[in-house]
Amino acid sequence: MTRRFSTALLWASAVLVCQPCAAQPAIDELRIIAPAAPGGGWDQTARAMQQVLQRTGLVRIAPVENVPGAAGTIGLARFIGNEVGHRDVVMVSGLIMLGGIVTHQSPVTLHDVTPLARLTGEYEVIAVPAASPFRTLRDLLDAFKAKPESISWGGGSAGGSDQILAGLVADAVGVSPSRVNYIAFSGGGESLAAILGSQVSLGVNGLAEFAPQIEAGTLRGLAISSAERVPGVDVPTLREQGIAIDFENWRSLVAPPGLAARDRARLEALVAAMVASPPWRETLARYRWLDRYLPGEGFTRFAVTEEMRVRDVLRKFTVGQESVRSAPEPYPWLVIAGLVITGALLVRQIARSSSVTPEASRPPRAPVVLLAVASALHLLLLERAGFVIAAALLFWLAARAFDPRHPLRDGLFATAVSVSSYVLFARVLHLSLPAGVLGRWL
Amino acid sequence: MQTIDLLRDGFASALSWGHLLWALVGVTLGTVVGVLPGIGPALTVALLLPITFNLEPTSAFIMFGGIYYGAMYGGSTTSILLNTPGETASIATAIDGYAMARQGRGASALTTAAIGSFVAGTLATIALTFFSPLLAAVALRFGPAEYFALSVLAFTTVSSLLGESLARGLFSLFLGLALGLIGIDQLTGDARFAFGIPQLLDGIDVLILVIGLFAVGETFFQAWRHGRDEPEVVALERFTGMSREDWRRSWRPWLRGTAIGFPLGVLPVGGSVIPTFLSYSVEKRLSPRPEEFGHGAIEGVAGPEAANNAAAAGVLVPLLTLGLPSSATAAVMLAAFEQYGLQPGPLLFSSRPDLVWTLIASLYIGNTMLLVLNLPLAGVWARVMLVPRSILFGIILVLASLGTYSLNGSMLDVVLLFATGAVGCVMRVHDVPLVPAVLGLILGPLAELQFRRALAISEGDATVFLTRPLCAVLLAISAIALVLPAVLKRRAA
Repeated sequence: MTRRFSTALLWASAVLVCQPCAAQPAIDELRIIAPAAPGGGWDQTARAMQQVLQRTGLVRIAPVENVPGAAGTIGLARFIGNEVGHRDVVMVSGLIMLGGIVTHQSPVTLHDVTPLARLTGEYEVIAVPAASPFRTLRDLLDAFKAKPESISWGGGSAGGSDQILAGLVADAVGVSPSRVNYIAFSGGGESLAAILGSQVSLGVNGLAEFAPQIEAGTLRGLAISSAERVPGVDVPTLREQGIAIDFENWRSLVAPPGLAARDRARLEALVAAMVASPPWRETLARYRWLDRYLPGEGFTRFAVTEEMRVRDVLRKFTVGQESVRSAPEPYPWLVIAGLVITGALLVRQIARSSSVTPEASRPPRAPVVLLAVASALHLLLLERAGFVIAAALLFWLAARAFDPRHPLRDGLFATAVSVSSYVLFARVLHLSLPAGVLGRWL
Repeated sequence: MQTIDLLRDGFASALSWGHLLWALVGVTLGTVVGVLPGIGPALTVALLLPITFNLEPTSAFIMFGGIYYGAMYGGSTTSILLNTPGETASIATAIDGYAMARQGRGASALTTAAIGSFVAGTLATIALTFFSPLLAAVALRFGPAEYFALSVLAFTTVSSLLGESLARGLFSLFLGLALGLIGIDQLTGDARFAFGIPQLLDGIDVLILVIGLFAVGETFFQAWRHGRDEPEVVALERFTGMSREDWRRSWRPWLRGTAIGFPLGVLPVGGSVIPTFLSYSVEKRLSPRPEEFGHGAIEGVAGPEAANNAAAAGVLVPLLTLGLPSSATAAVMLAAFEQYGLQPGPLLFSSRPDLVWTLIASLYIGNTMLLVLNLPLAGVWARVMLVPRSILFGIILVLASLGTYSLNGSMLDVVLLFATGAVGCVMRVHDVPLVPAVLGLILGPLAELQFRRALAISEGDATVFLTRPLCAVLLAISAIALVLPAVLKRRAA
């Protein structure tokens, strides 16, 4: 296939994406940041928003950027660092980010951003494999109270909504959360597999993940964290079984700090229009998300009470565990010892062999030095001057390091490659690359 | 033979000229985007998903099938031609693939990769069609103890990658293990060795190490050597397809790669690294010419590529039968299926057989389309080796930087990229193998995490590793894999 043809295909697809755009979108481009890897709940929320906003024509184009890591706190830190005052960017956030802020002692918190609205909520379910001896929540909690550590709780990452609920339940039945044998898995798939395979005693997860399994009879739902029974889901609530906990894994939307009041009102109006649109209703139904739209002051107050609740329960998890935690794990020190020993051996071998290498075979230094300079310049310029300039310079200097005879040809190639890759990735595929000083023209 | 009837219905709704065009578009886009270093299958699928939003379900699924297999295959091209694996699944391919390309046999390497991918993809899709429920049930028997044993087995493959000097190979391995310590301890949520830098909390991305050591490191190393030795001149062999010899040496690795890749792909943990390296190691052990490995043995390309594609099909087994997304790519696909009202889970096959069988038929079509697209291109791509090196290295550096920045949009990642590039150059200068470092970074955290999980579940009772039969068997195989070659060598001597 020729390059021209594949470019044509990309263009054709790009046109397809924009097909249903309404005549006059309210906002031309709105970036949505998902502070998680593709596939998770925040990513799903961001991509669902992308689809609804574009389909309803509220926004012409809404690229999703993934900034994964540390329960969203890495995305939060970057959002606060890079986007101050920007009016066309929002970030998905929620309960799990509160947990991440506490667990990872994040220096920035949700107080540092502009809250827009709470969007959705998802109930949590406690379930056991179909073959489990535990028929009811009472069976399970009796065994748990008798010997807490013998019951292993499988769920999502440490500090996340699943662990928070586990801690709340333990606390409510009078067992210290620090005695919960919580097995953290990364991602819904991994923990679901462990529960289905009876590798752990019970699982805690969102209703959407468990519902198909409960429906199929592969899992038995023992309790749901809603205040009242959910229609169509045959699982009793925690409340009707004597545990007074209402709990939801809520997700919300925030804007950068330092936003002008006018810009904030504009984004709030956009969110209000989005949640009222029929495509958003369909999305909620499809993902079994609850409509928990709560804008403005109400959301801010809600976030503060939730933060206190999360801090409280996560602190209890570590009470009495300090002694266990500060005990050194053997594995890291074994690895470091291995690295030091093999490193010493290596250095000795190299020292021996290089003493016999004749001086004459020393290579000329110029090319590698030029390449090092090119790399350093690239790193300096990437975010300051933008991708195109930094990449073209890197290309040109690297090419000169290998063959200095064609400066003009190399310059042309450097420009062509960096401009075309920028246009393809940043403009057609909407990956985030630093636009820099040339951004306006490309 | 109800399955066959259902599959025929699936094909009936999937096969039309319009749909075939979507398959072609999907395969092309998947390959084009998947080729770029740093843009792995998950991101490729996520980026291209919006394109399918406006299509009716059948066309969209056909395109998925194409994008999925295209993205999985795309990485191998740059691995072979530029020694730049774009994702972890194609690292094993780079070892012998790049050696072949430098000898002018790039087209043969690309062809064996394409045919191997097709054979493995097709066989694995057939297995997916007929044995999904059974396989999924077996996969669930794998708990943390078994995953620990599996990662131990994967570690034994390192012994076939250490190279000539034990000290050099082990240093490389420990370097990777040490880098793997950085980041949040997943079981407790505590930060380890992050030195207060928030971007390090999630650890060092394997892709950065791979692209840094291989692509950037190779460029630095060539610059270091520049002017010292005669530059290597690549003379392309006249390419007329794979030679009879190539075929003879490839078909068994394809089949063995499929046999290794598919079941391991079905397992909800592990990804495609373990199957590709297991396949590489098995081929080296079985080969009558193990000394050729690392210097352009075609088996070292054929096996891992087949394993990679078979694993990609295997990932769909737990996704479709249990609703288990076992990789980031699968999670993205799950979200995509939900757009069409498809609720993957235990009831999927009975509730929406029409869509499921259309999807499965699409996988066959996407896989075939991939072969149709790539076979004629192998000879064309191979000419990349004739591009002046100055231009080629410029392109590699720019793409490496682009791919790395787009991973997380983090400047620190790009700094790490060039730093690991410098480390990779120094390692090459002193003949330290690179692959053990990558395996250490991938397998170290996995082994440690599963080991501690298993112990937490058993309340500290270490005998679980021996009392669980599957786990004990895997550990026994590992022990044999380590000891047997030494015994055989002694007997031969």
